[in-house]
Amino acid sequence: MDDFQKYAESDVIIVGGGPSGLMAAKGLAERGVKALLIERNNYLGGGFWLGGFLLNPITVRAPGHKILQDLGVPIKEHSKGLYVASGPHACSKLIAAACDAGAKILNMTLIDDVMIREKRVAGVVVNWTPVSALPREITCVDPIGLESKIVIDATGHDAAVVRQLEKRGLLKVPGYGAMWVERSEDLVVEHTGEVYPGLIVTGMAVSTAYGLPRMGPTFGAMLMSGVRAAEVAYEKLRGQK
Amino acid sequence: MKSSAGRSEFLPKVHLYEDPSAKTLDLRVIVNYLQDKFGKISVDIRPPLFRAEAAGHIARDLAATKVRDITNPRVDMEPLPGEVEFERRLLLDPHLKLPGVLYDGFRLETVARKLLPAEELDTGHAHIIFTNRLFGTWDGEDGRYHARVSVYGFPSLISTTGIVEAPAKPKEYYTMKRRYMALGMLVSFEELKEKFQGRFIDYDDPRLTEVVKGYVMQAIFYHIFGEPFCQDKRCKLFNAHWQEELILAQTVPKASEFCEIHSKILEELKLEWN
Repeated sequence: MDDFQKYAESDVIIVGGGPSGLMAAKGLAERGVKALLIERNNYLGGGFWLGGFLLNPITVRAPGHKILQDLGVPIKEHSKGLYVASGPHACSKLIAAACDAGAKILNMTLIDDVMIREKRVAGVVVNWTPVSALPREITCVDPIGLESKIVIDATGHDAAVVRQLEKRGLLKVPGYGAMWVERSEDLVVEHTGEVYPGLIVTGMAVSTAYGLPRMGPTFGAMLMSGVRAAEVAYEKLRGQK
Repeated sequence: MKSSAGRSEFLPKVHLYEDPSAKTLDLRVIVNYLQDKFGKISVDIRPPLFRAEAAGHIARDLAATKVRDITNPRVDMEPLPGEVEFERRLLLDPHLKLPGVLYDGFRLETVARKLLPAEELDTGHAHIIFTNRLFGTWDGEDGRYHARVSVYGFPSLISTTGIVEAPAKPKEYYTMKRRYMALGMLVSFEELKEKFQGRFIDYDDPRLTEVVKGYVMQAIFYHIFGEPFCQDKRCKLFNAHWQEELILAQTVPKASEFCEIHSKILEELKLEWN
């Protein structure tokens, strides 16, 4: 409960605990930022546990492999510019790195709404995930508001935070385009940034927010996008001081 | 100005606008080529039309030309700040190549037109703009956008990315790519490309300048006659939809680069205008 009260106000809330969200949380916590990561499932990692076609080796295109090296994940160059690692090994190392850096994790927590103050995103409204699965007649659990200076949407193609702004008519979201793996990775990293005052998008949520081509089962861009999201958020926090 | 025969009465001054991200495109070779084909034609090479100086006011306009839905040309939305910022970064560094965004070719042409010098807005000038932006045009017949190499008009746009991405690669390439994707991407695209080496034009392909000669000729033919294309697959004016056709029309050595009809037209033009 103490922790919960402590994180009712954070510097940055990261919504989504996949590879980009975890990288963003790690990058911010390492810089001494009070970072709270919210994950709707009881487990972290998103799709990072598995590669394509039910195989657990994950593939990472250069230069994303350097991040795995830094995390201490064994990698193998499978072919020119394409690296392979064990999904479970990479995912668990990344989760540990985010926790070790000091990011606070709130799992089984679902975003319900966003808080808007002075025309900028100022936090999120959340509820316990199982509540959403039960009929309203038998659940009576009110959501709670968690405030932050910046929110990062790392919810994958759902772009759940961005969609909340769209519902309010504050943004129009084109949705992701057709799959074009070899082009989408660079574009996702390049478009990672503030999509609305106080809201940064990262990972596959970037594709949805900007209508970019969809990525395939490679994770390099998601890791790099998370790094970039942390950098952008950190710069914005510094600017706010 | 067009004569009764349906063509300009004079040879236009041709202005070629660089795309610095296309490392293997040598516009000086194109200038020499045009002078060889047309004789006393005035051709100059200019800096990129979409460049830093214009970044302040056209980043938003460029972002607004993005295709939002490839099955619907009427989807319009105000660009997001991140999209404008993305365009601004591309304008500030014309060497940056980030293909993957599809623009509407005709809307892009409208943005380009606004940047042309006011004193050159007549048919005495043929502005040919090279860009690494990939654009498409809407096809009402099948109800979707198609990526294009070029859009001819005033000005004409030639996409160096379109040369790689618009004409379809060999069918086996896509079959193999799908198979690799299904297997979790255990083969890199670089490796896949190597398997098909030579069968399509790639980024920084040494054949790019040779290929561009044909597209510049198409732009000039459009400017003079209003018709850029030829039906003959071996003529440089052929509108290729497959990479294999493009390579045949533009790079395979032949007795003549143009078909009989277009060779004759070029000879006549050269005689008449020199």
